[in-house]
Amino acid sequence: MRLAFKAVGHSFLGRTVLDGVSFTLAPAETVAIVGPSGCGKSTLLGIAAGLIEPLRGRVRREYARHAAVFQEPRLLPWRTARDNIAYGLELRGAGRRERHEVAARLARAVSLAAEDLDKYPVELSGGMRQRVAFARALAIDPEVVYFDEPFTALDVGLRRTLQDLVVDSARGRGFASLFVTHDLLEAVRIAHRVLVLAHRGGRIAGERAPPGLPGGRDERLVWETTERWRTEDALFAHVFDAEERDERRAA
Amino acid sequence: MGALGAALGALGRYLWSGWAGATGLFCVAAAWQAGHEAYGTFILPAPLDTLRALAGLAGSPAFHAVALDTALRALAGFAVAAGCGSLLGVVAGYSFSAIRVLQPILTLILGVPPIAWIVLALIWFGASGGTVVATIVIAAVPIAFAGAVEGVATRDRTLEAMAQAFGAGALRRFRTVVVPHLVAHLFPAWTTTLGTAFKVAVMAELLANAGGVGGALARARANLDVAEAMAWVVLVVAMLLAVEYGVLHPVRAALERWRDAGVPWGVKR
Ligand SMILES: Nc1ncnc2c1ncn2[C@@H]1O[C@H](COP(=O)(O)OP(=O)(O)O)[C@@H](O)[C@H]1O
Ligand SMILES: [Mg+2]
Repeated sequence: MRLAFKAVGHSFLGRTVLDGVSFTLAPAETVAIVGPSGCGKSTLLGIAAGLIEPLRGRVRREYARHAAVFQEPRLLPWRTARDNIAYGLELRGAGRRERHEVAARLARAVSLAAEDLDKYPVELSGGMRQRVAFARALAIDPEVVYFDEPFTALDVGLRRTLQDLVVDSARGRGFASLFVTHDLLEAVRIAHRVLVLAHRGGRIAGERAPPGLPGGRDERLVWETTERWRTEDALFAHVFDAEERDERRAA
Repeated sequence: MGALGAALGALGRYLWSGWAGATGLFCVAAAWQAGHEAYGTFILPAPLDTLRALAGLAGSPAFHAVALDTALRALAGFAVAAGCGSLLGVVAGYSFSAIRVLQPILTLILGVPPIAWIVLALIWFGASGGTVVATIVIAAVPIAFAGAVEGVATRDRTLEAMAQAFGAGALRRFRTVVVPHLVAHLFPAWTTTLGTAFKVAVMAELLANAGGVGGALARARANLDVAEAMAWVVLVVAMLLAVEYGVLHPVRAALERWRDAGVPWGVKR
């Protein structure tokens, strides 16, 4: 067990965002958290990553290092890609040689060209920036990685590539991850288990496990599972109905 | 090699941009010359005559002591004002209640005319360098303070959350996330602080009869020596330009090289 939430609840200004949330994350496991926007996914992840102190319940962490990848790359604009990737290492007091070696190695792992390492974030495309952000997370050799809708802003093809990258890295390096997304297809593709947050009330409405293992599912299985869940499973119906209703109201 | 090349390139661009600055100065000189030709030597001595007067002054033994007096007072006032103002501003920027307490105090300080501060400082410190420095500090602190508050208050909190998620404590977050952003707000404020320091230094010296360039200006006025008065003014401006373009701007350019990276080719200075 890497992470355990026990009856965690949180409110902002008296408004309950999360309530009675309990789950565990096993070593090397990828758990996806899906739910409509505004349901408290980022709050949950912030609590897990220690950025938000929950008002109720307990969080147990059994690991030494975690890293995070956010929806926006959140790179330091005054640092080159190399120094951004090495940021976490620098915080841990790693020397310059080690930082540069690790940055070069991870740049290769996330398919960044060597010459991009000397560029500043403004000089990189959106996809490259997110690759740098992912490399920065991998650089500290984390036991748990928190992802908060990391690929939402990218186009479909790039999203696929980076999803595969996450699955491969998680398998190769053995880190566990909590992966927040509101894209059910993405959840089905990359996760061992999918937790569904309710539209209102901040509770976990239920949990499903897609057939097979991440990385071992072909496109068809992913697509069919997603469609079946979306159309036949009451658990998802209530989540995505609510989302569609909101979208229609907004439009 | 890449870093050295980039540094040399930046230095070259900086020196090259000096031509543009010189153009501006020569435009001022031309207008000055036109004014001289329209109104005559007694109202406005020619730029060249002023430079000649300055050269004459520079030959006199007391000149260096006088110039050094003013420069040291201005720089001391600037250092204290920029240091204290920035420090207070950073603290206030982190705390809304501190901003609320300090803001009216600053408005109050800014509302008191500098001339009143000079009178008060005269009573406290007598006709000395202390009066000059104290007046500079009081006049210039709010500028540095406002720059620092602005810098801290506009910091990117999402970057701070990122740093925290990677295990950075409060001090590390300040150093790696807030300071680089703060610099962009502090340098313009410090430039203004520096200008204020030199202006107030001369004014305070003149009014407090505390020697320095201000004292020399008072003497030139008493002797109705307009060329000499202009020469002293030119000297003060030259000192200010030297500190600003010799120290502040190069430091800033070195710290903010990353901003250039986002500028497309052809727009670079
Ligand atoms: N710092 C905050 N202060 C007040 N309300 C917040 C704060 N952060 C989030 N919220 C509110 O909490 C709810 C859940 O937010 P969030 O966890 O970001 O949702 P999600 O990531 O699922 O879209 C939203 O209604 C949001 O407005
Ligand atoms: Mg969110």
